Amino acid sequence: MLTLLLLAAGTASVSAQNIDLGSDAQRDAGKQMYELKCAHCHGADGAGDAAMSELLRPAPRNFTSSTFKFRTTGSGELPSDDDIKDSIRKGMPYTGMPPWPSLSEDEVTNLMYYIKTFSDDFAGVFGEVTPLEMPDPPSMSEESIIRGREVYIENSCADCHGEKGRGDGPSAPTLEDTWNYPIRAADLTKRWAFRGGSSRSDIFRTFTTGLDGSPMPSFDIQPPEDQWNLVDYVYSLSRDEADYGTMVVATTIAEPIDVNNAASVFDGIDPVLFAVVGQVIEPGRAFFPGVNGVEVRSVVSPSTISIMLQWNDMSAETTGIAGPGLGAPDRTADEDTSITYADAIAVQFPSGVSAGTGKPYFLFGDRKASADLWFADLSATQATHYTGKGSGDIQLDETRIEMSSSYSDGQWTVIMQRDREISGHAAFTEGTFVPISFSVWDGFNRERGNRRGITMWYSLYIDVAVKESPVVPMISYGFATLLLGLITTFLVRRKFGDKESA
Amino acid sequence: MNFIVIVSVAVVLFALRFAKLNALGWAVAWWVGVYICFRYGVVPPVPASIMSMYMFIVTLVLVAYVSAAHDRMKEVTDSLIAFFVNPKYKIALGLSLLLLPVLVAFQVYTGMTSQPQPPISGRTVHPPPPGNISFQGKQIDLLTVHNPYRDLADSDPQAFSAHVNAGRSIYYQNCVYCHGDNMEGDGMFAHGFDPIPANFQDPTTIAMLQESYLFWRIAKGAPGLPSESTPWFSAMPAWETFLSEEEIWDVILFLYDYTGQLPRASEEVH
Repeated sequence: MLTLLLLAAGTASVSAQNIDLGSDAQRDAGKQMYELKCAHCHGADGAGDAAMSELLRPAPRNFTSSTFKFRTTGSGELPSDDDIKDSIRKGMPYTGMPPWPSLSEDEVTNLMYYIKTFSDDFAGVFGEVTPLEMPDPPSMSEESIIRGREVYIENSCADCHGEKGRGDGPSAPTLEDTWNYPIRAADLTKRWAFRGGSSRSDIFRTFTTGLDGSPMPSFDIQPPEDQWNLVDYVYSLSRDEADYGTMVVATTIAEPIDVNNAASVFDGIDPVLFAVVGQVIEPGRAFFPGVNGVEVRSVVSPSTISIMLQWNDMSAETTGIAGPGLGAPDRTADEDTSITYADAIAVQFPSGVSAGTGKPYFLFGDRKASADLWFADLSATQATHYTGKGSGDIQLDETRIEMSSSYSDGQWTVIMQRDREISGHAAFTEGTFVPISFSVWDGFNRERGNRRGITMWYSLYIDVAVKESPVVPMISYGFATLLLGLITTFLVRRKFGDKESA
Repeated sequence: MNFIVIVSVAVVLFALRFAKLNALGWAVAWWVGVYICFRYGVVPPVPASIMSMYMFIVTLVLVAYVSAAHDRMKEVTDSLIAFFVNPKYKIALGLSLLLLPVLVAFQVYTGMTSQPQPPISGRTVHPPPPGNISFQGKQIDLLTVHNPYRDLADSDPQAFSAHVNAGRSIYYQNCVYCHGDNMEGDGMFAHGFDPIPANFQDPTTIAMLQESYLFWRIAKGAPGLPSESTPWFSAMPAWETFLSEEEIWDVILFLYDYTGQLPRASEEVH
């Protein structure tokens, strides 16, 4: 025991020379910057327990615990100086931690030195770290993706991240971080939201070093080729960017669809992804909504309009109560957790026939202009229709909405259909843009009423049923132009031809 | 702004000075140059309808420039006539007569088959505030009201910083989600909104506004915007429902303190 202690003390005194804690001036400057920009979430003492910690998920990092998610060092080790600086510079997408491109190199360095003062470990025997070697990524291939899928299964990644990578594995709903805050497995189909970065090297680093403090362990995958195969598989699950849309086109079809058997109708249509953010405007605010995007497709027949909505949800909540006008649950310590909330989604249109001008307020309408809500409570088999004149005045009405819903592999699919022309409600006239917006409730995240994910108004374009062929206008305009050119040439030559040649 | 495009156009136009172009050549070069600047030099891209409006104005300006001097006008008409009449341009004329109809047909084709673009509504960025507002049952005259805690900066710095810190808490609990940690309008929910949330670091926002203006925009939010500002595009809440008068003045102090900006001084009212 004594020898061990001596050994430890010996190592400490040796390695202490290689530990860079910065100068007093640097740490002081870092402290000032920290108090100005960081303390409000991470706390003045670095413990991550400031007032904001209750309003952010994932919660702000506790720097006193020596536990850091994003490192190039081994599992359980402290991060390198560059790791801390990288985390500050790049931030963590889709969390409360923004990137800080406005800070200078010196400012980031000073902050790093100050952050290291929150834990004695940085000054001690663990303070000297050797970053792991991060190899350059080899080229990606079809074969590596196929082999990567096998590696994904062999290493039980699907337990948390799900069969199709949507963050919906059987263990996903039970996950907590070291501090007992609920935490979600990454949705691997949305690479742009990866906290630790979305490049192949970032993915490699994430599973090689693990995310300390979270349930994501480090993996030592052998042989080494399989490490990149796994990277390539994960990389292949997602496109590069979110590419959020602003308009969805309702494609013309001949007959109304059968909502229970409509997959083939929508298969050929590219979905448009709309960004969903927390409703933080009206009381009952959702600071960390469970859903961050909804994919939308639409078709229109001579008599009906149909919308298909798809979004990723870690677990389907099909029991409990939902409703756009119901109160948001109290988020207090003694909240009754036996109450369950069903997942739900609503599509919103202005009730007014003259779309385009005077949109209603995007949060369920206002007193002057009401909004139509097609509401799909996913604990029910039937959709309901509400008319909203503000979130405090939402009335159920008789408008019929057909609905079907299904959940598989972490994804909800909801199809709703309504008659195109209903007096007093949104009309879907061909060739027009109809404002459209969405609300999504994640029951697992205890969302109801005003606590939900929202979008602003976007556009639904109702395609024209019979499109004019461009051939005839092309020929007639082209011919007219040719004629005009010939006449001009003829007139100019007749008037000036002799003069010029003379 | 894509400065590479704009600078390249400027360089080419400058180089053309040495090419001894006639007036027609100049007018065409300028038209093309300006078109390239608007089309490729501005980010985000200028909408097609606004583009054609700009180019119409540019055409008018060039016609006015050319026709302003007799020599220039003659140079242009002479070169145009030569193009139609002089045998040395026979091939070029023939090609133009054939290519132009093809271009027109192509334009008709793209116009008829392209994806329709959602209507754009113009909006006023800093709409004029009303003379006075009713705030939680109290009348506030926006022309004369000033931040009651602003003067504490000199008279009682300690009390002042207490107000700034109160404003800081309010900002983080309410505003940071959209306006962002660095107040650049890039908070974690900002990507879900258009218009994007205001960037307070930008010198054309709070630095050129009076504190009373900020009070109005915070208290009344999007619902209080006049109709020319197309209220329902802005997601700004009416904070009068959540915050007291003092809290709004505090958060205003914090906005200026954090960004290092100063409010525009109020003009003397005679």
